[in-house]
Amino acid sequence: MCWVCEAYGDPEVENGRWYLNPKNHSRNMYKIKKPDQKAAAYGSDPEAQSGRNIGEIMQFRFTDPDKFNQLIKEANAMKGSGPFQIGQVIPIQEAYKVVEMSYPVASMSCICRIHNRAQEERNEHEYSCTGLGVGMLKWERWPERYKGGVNFMAPDEAKEWLVKWNKKGMVHIIMTFGGSYVGGVCNCDYPDCGMIRNRVDYGIETGCLKSHWVAKIDYDLCTGCGVCVQRCQFGAIKFEVTLDKTNIDQLKCFGCGLCETGCPTNAIELIDRESLPGLREVW
Amino acid sequence: MTAPCTVPFDCKKCLQACPQAVFLVTAVKVERGKETDPKEPGAYRLFAPHRDKCTGCNDCIELCPEDAITINFPPLEA
Ligand code: SF4
Ligand code: SF4
Ligand code: SF4
Repeated sequence: MCWVCEAYGDPEVENGRWYLNPKNHSRNMYKIKKPDQKAAAYGSDPEAQSGRNIGEIMQFRFTDPDKFNQLIKEANAMKGSGPFQIGQVIPIQEAYKVVEMSYPVASMSCICRIHNRAQEERNEHEYSCTGLGVGMLKWERWPERYKGGVNFMAPDEAKEWLVKWNKKGMVHIIMTFGGSYVGGVCNCDYPDCGMIRNRVDYGIETGCLKSHWVAKIDYDLCTGCGVCVQRCQFGAIKFEVTLDKTNIDQLKCFGCGLCETGCPTNAIELIDRESLPGLREVW
Repeated sequence: MTAPCTVPFDCKKCLQACPQAVFLVTAVKVERGKETDPKEPGAYRLFAPHRDKCTGCNDCIELCPEDAITINFPPLEA
């Protein structure tokens, strides 16, 4: 079972999906330091805290590779009980549900693209990240984080905007900002997304868990056009010359659904990861 | 690096050209309530956190107007 759902899901709500559990979107979850109050579980300043701990691990890559590998093992074994930001890939259908239930929803610039490519996103046409919940009302406090401001969106507007990035080929990742507080849906690609890169290149799992879904091709419908191969950010699809069709390695698949939304013949469907015994524990 | 780059966020040539996405830029002079000026020398710093993935293509060195980047590969064994 998905360990985040085990810890933060409600079996009665939306199949127990943690990110569709309203509790994890609630205002109370956003922990702000109040006078005379001890810092909350994951640090008093959730936004400033997020990502910092992974950064601390990364520092050992060159100075002490053994320690680096050991810290990654420990971080993965903590399964979210540690101070790490949790991120999980979700297909766009679930991202729709998230922007419907969260308030407010705003587009903003992507912090990873700023860091990794000095890519500035200055207005709502360029913003590529989605901020969710009350944290967004305080965006002015962190001008470097929300460089250029934010653009608040109604749910329908947010959905159209998600479609725009999905069409371009971005993977949606739901992120926490302190504990299980759901703070954003990122639109990500490799190598510029830190979370995808940390997972794919270095095996740091917590920030980029696989989704609850996995892609499956209907060979009768597939024409072998190769669109899906181009859209997969995780190298899970290849063109199989022998069969003249494409082939998805479901062990590599993150269940982002980009292949599904791109396929011109609807040959790909997303199926429940846990319906396949061999993938039940692959997150 | 010979002389450290002082305006990586403003220039960003190496950051955007590297096929291996080796570089990272981050604000080192964060002021509360105010965005850091990309043109202010020293407001941002350039790092190369993924430098073990560098292939030595030299694109970054050729593009850098400040001669701020050096790459060291061990010499070929004779
Ligand atoms: S996009 Fe669809 S039709 Fe084209 S190769 Fe992929 S599965 Fe086959
Ligand atoms: S195979 Fe499809 S669903 Fe799986 S990771 Fe690749 S694009 Fe995403
Ligand atoms: S020499 Fe290395 S760091 Fe410079 S652009 Fe090429 S791969 Fe990137």
